[in-house]
Amino acid sequence: MKVSYNWLKDYVDFDLTPEELAEKLTMVGFEVEEIIQTLSKFEKIVVGKIKSCVKHPDADRLSVCEVELPDNTYNVICGAPNVQKGQNIPFAQVGVSLPNGLKIKKAKIRGTESFGMICSEEELGLVEHSDGIWVLPEEWSVGEDVYERLLDTQDFIFDIAITPNRPDAMSMIGIAREIAAFTERDLKIPKINLVEDDEPASKLISIEIENPEGCPRYAAKVIKNVKIKASPKWMADRLTAAGVRPINNIVDITNYILLETGQPLHAFDHKFIEDSKIVVRFSTENEKFITLDEKERELPHETVLICDGKKSVAIGGIMGGLNSEVTEKTKTVLLESAYFNPVHISRSSKKLGLSTEASQRFERGMDPSGVLFAANRAAYLMSELAGGKILSGEVDNYLNKIESRKISVRIERINKVLGTSITENEVIKILSSLGIEYKNGKATIPTFRPDLEREVDIIEEIARCITFDNIPVKEKTSIYYENQANDKDTYLSFLKKKLVELEFNEALTNSMIPKEMITDENKDDYLVPIYNPISDDMNIMRPSLIPGLLKSVIYNLNRNQPNIRLFELGRIFTKINDQYESEQPYNICGVICGNTKNPNWNEGTATVDFYDIKGLVESLINKIFLDKVEFILYDSHIYFDKKSTLSIKRGEQTLGYFGKIKREVLNKIDIEQDVFSFEFNADLLFDIRNINRQYKSFSKYPYVEKDLAFVLDQKVNSNEIINAIARAGGSLVESVNVFDVFTGENIGHGKKSIAFRIKFQSYEKTLQDEEVQGLFLKIINKIESTFHANLRE
Amino acid sequence: MLEQIKKIKQEAENELKKISTSQELDTLRLKYLSRKGLISSLFSDLKDVVANERAIVGQKINQLKSDVESSYKELQESLKSDKETEDDVDLFLPGRQPFIGRLHPLTIVLDEIKQIFFNLGFHVEDGPEIETDYYNFEALNIPKDHPARDMQDTLYITEEILLRTHTSPVQIRVMQSQKPPISIIAPGRVYRRDTPDASHSPFFHQVEGLVVDEGISFGDLKGVITAFAHKMFGSDIKVRFRPSFFPFTEPSAEYDFNCVFCRGKGCRVCKNTGWMEISGAGMVDPNVFEAVGYDSEKYTGYAFGMGVDRIAMLKYGINDIRLFFENDLRFLNQF
Repeated sequence: MKVSYNWLKDYVDFDLTPEELAEKLTMVGFEVEEIIQTLSKFEKIVVGKIKSCVKHPDADRLSVCEVELPDNTYNVICGAPNVQKGQNIPFAQVGVSLPNGLKIKKAKIRGTESFGMICSEEELGLVEHSDGIWVLPEEWSVGEDVYERLLDTQDFIFDIAITPNRPDAMSMIGIAREIAAFTERDLKIPKINLVEDDEPASKLISIEIENPEGCPRYAAKVIKNVKIKASPKWMADRLTAAGVRPINNIVDITNYILLETGQPLHAFDHKFIEDSKIVVRFSTENEKFITLDEKERELPHETVLICDGKKSVAIGGIMGGLNSEVTEKTKTVLLESAYFNPVHISRSSKKLGLSTEASQRFERGMDPSGVLFAANRAAYLMSELAGGKILSGEVDNYLNKIESRKISVRIERINKVLGTSITENEVIKILSSLGIEYKNGKATIPTFRPDLEREVDIIEEIARCITFDNIPVKEKTSIYYENQANDKDTYLSFLKKKLVELEFNEALTNSMIPKEMITDENKDDYLVPIYNPISDDMNIMRPSLIPGLLKSVIYNLNRNQPNIRLFELGRIFTKINDQYESEQPYNICGVICGNTKNPNWNEGTATVDFYDIKGLVESLINKIFLDKVEFILYDSHIYFDKKSTLSIKRGEQTLGYFGKIKREVLNKIDIEQDVFSFEFNADLLFDIRNINRQYKSFSKYPYVEKDLAFVLDQKVNSNEIINAIARAGGSLVESVNVFDVFTGENIGHGKKSIAFRIKFQSYEKTLQDEEVQGLFLKIINKIESTFHANLRE
Repeated sequence: MLEQIKKIKQEAENELKKISTSQELDTLRLKYLSRKGLISSLFSDLKDVVANERAIVGQKINQLKSDVESSYKELQESLKSDKETEDDVDLFLPGRQPFIGRLHPLTIVLDEIKQIFFNLGFHVEDGPEIETDYYNFEALNIPKDHPARDMQDTLYITEEILLRTHTSPVQIRVMQSQKPPISIIAPGRVYRRDTPDASHSPFFHQVEGLVVDEGISFGDLKGVITAFAHKMFGSDIKVRFRPSFFPFTEPSAEYDFNCVFCRGKGCRVCKNTGWMEISGAGMVDPNVFEAVGYDSEKYTGYAFGMGVDRIAMLKYGINDIRLFFENDLRFLNQF
């Protein structure tokens, strides 16, 4: 809310600079987000008098003026049509820079010299637009500094963030009440001296409330013979400063009272109120209404409608209707001041998508007791500023009066919750400054504070008023020994560190991705779509970490950073059995692309391929101590190429997949390079984590290495051979590695040659040649017979 | 023939003395030692020598060949070692760089935050990112139609299921499953319907804190936040609490730290206020205790939040939140 510093002084005397006031307000819960000065400093501009003014000899639109200052008289050329002899004007001498950046120089225009400039309000940055020069009041003396003269009118507009629990503070008087409390001054509520006509308002209007649950109180006054015109400058200025556009005196008064008291009012043209009658009722099914802004709106169920004898004329507490608004022809004003139920206003406002100054206040809770004060104050201003005649009294339909609430408040509870030692007398003093009476352990809450319902709400008021700074800081606390590290969280951190060790950079990507990136046909079965996405680029929750990481890959490729190793650990989201919230496991995913190592000055580098991602996956499995893991061919993955994918299995469980990303997936986001990736379910990894690892001793005896190569059918899986070698060789086979693979004419079509290096070692003794040779032959026989392999000599 | 051998020997010795580069050495090799070189041609001339002298002459040629060869090898070695030890080697060429893996700056900062709170007696809890309306709002004293719902623009999956707008639902989940005393932090990703710009991201990261026990007061909350500020940013950093409003705490506060750039003196970053807004906190509202079946007369508690992204931005002087999620290697490689 925008609050004028000068205007506040109408309601409370305070001796605080704008900065001090802003700081104090902030510290009691009304955060001043910005202070806007209405007058910004400009360089020295002085009052000058136009001694003479004649047409420029060679230019029709220009005048040549003599501007008199105390010390000298200057020849100045002026282009403004309103310049005249005898005027006081703001004069900028040569050398002065104006707020718009223009620097005044000596000039020669069509042969006549000019020494300075006569300024407009616009040129001084005082208004957005002005026509012609600014003619200053006569009483301003020649030579006087214009800025200093204007300083009296300087105002500071505070932009205050009002929290939703404080509807009472959405007004000048509300903020002034808080200032009065912390400055210990009196709050000055404007006095109203109503002069009313003999004719009673009830003659022109009656009020019927059909649904008091939506509108507990509805009051009206009638003002006759109003003259619709523009508001006086002081009122228009205050409205403008608060961000409200002046319209005409009647509408402006209702807005002014809204700003001053918080109470929204509505002015109807009485002429359009048929049967001189107001009926307040809930809307019926599919009812429609045209609001002031000329839009036809379908009303939600149980919207509070203000009607006359025949038709609806306003949406209660939200917006008036086009059919009954005040126009320049209005003679008699029907002024509404009501209290609406916050729940009904909030619901209707949301469903209508219509939020107004009025609805924002009513939905937070206005003061049901403040209704008549606002109506009378507005009526008074209508008689003052529009010459209206106020009919006597008001029509006030208020069947079930809302009483002041009483709350039990214990002094010891205050101190227990806050950690303070406040006395009862201090509590009484603080609460009374807020208009709350505290007696015999009970606080009586004024109706303008709907937020104070419980003891704890009063405790907050105490804390706020003594300010949080004065609550002592506790310097120690007790620690419970049973608190311990969260195993899952620790494990996930461990996983991240292992990937960092494998030279991956950690990435964090948006969990909302474009549905368009998912190429899978069955996607609608498992995707989690966002109902109100920010954009199509973020319309589903990620079902995998791969798409997000691919976006980071293309981001880097587009910036000429081709060697990429990124990983992410984060939740993924899928719909299972129509449940959106049940399955949100953590996954861990890596992507690689570009070179296998950083380029350097004398070695070539290779581009990553399947065996790089496989090596990384194998290393990760090794680093996280996973055992009994198998890789199985997998040809139906959503993101991975069907010919270059392996699933990672442990028994029946699939822990993840790795391989080459499908070309069609990469094409979706214009990645031309090959990208390889792995993705594990980190929740599963956590479940099967190996926590009982034991040290295993290693052999003290030397090992023997033997190489052999087989020509095999291309379809044979090399892993099976390795396993077969290990099995055939028994416990003395320490390891089996592949050191060469090739295909070619000389070994035959559809064949491949694989060379293995077998390491034999015993834990008990140094192995003898004959022993190793025997095992070696056994292995050869086994492999030849099982796989139709031929040993290469 | 013997004369010729002697002459070639003499010539080769002279030439060897003059050689200073491997190029010259190679020319010499071609001239004497190659298949068409002078020494080879001596061997082919051997067939013209009378039979009884052939053995002696042959021996001489062999001798010559091995002499020249060994001189050649010697010289080759010495030229090579010259190259290695002297000016041809530039030790200032860049070393061969391995790829270097790094944690994301938000992970680094979050780990630091977790460690600080772990030392203060807190442990880590986790909760889902897709939440129900009940946990995100209802149980936190934010009923439907409550104006406070407007404070956070929510992304919905269905009417009842949404992307959590804060980590506070974890408070409810923890209190439903555990009895006091409770002292937890719950880090995690949260979502708001904000269009991305330098200071907004539709998803970001919070750490929620919750302490519930008998005798917990606002003074304890001030103590723990102050301790955190000192450990994270240094013990000269002051903390200030301002009244605010959150439906799930009462009293509610916003807390500010001294600007970490000017240490409270006032600078451009803090708009000369000396303060930086960090986040919200407060005493757990009795309605929240009621929702989880705690006795609000017996137990009191405090809760606080903080933005991990915001703290990382302060810590590293990062002025655009989007940098965290673009994953530009030039950014990631700085941490």
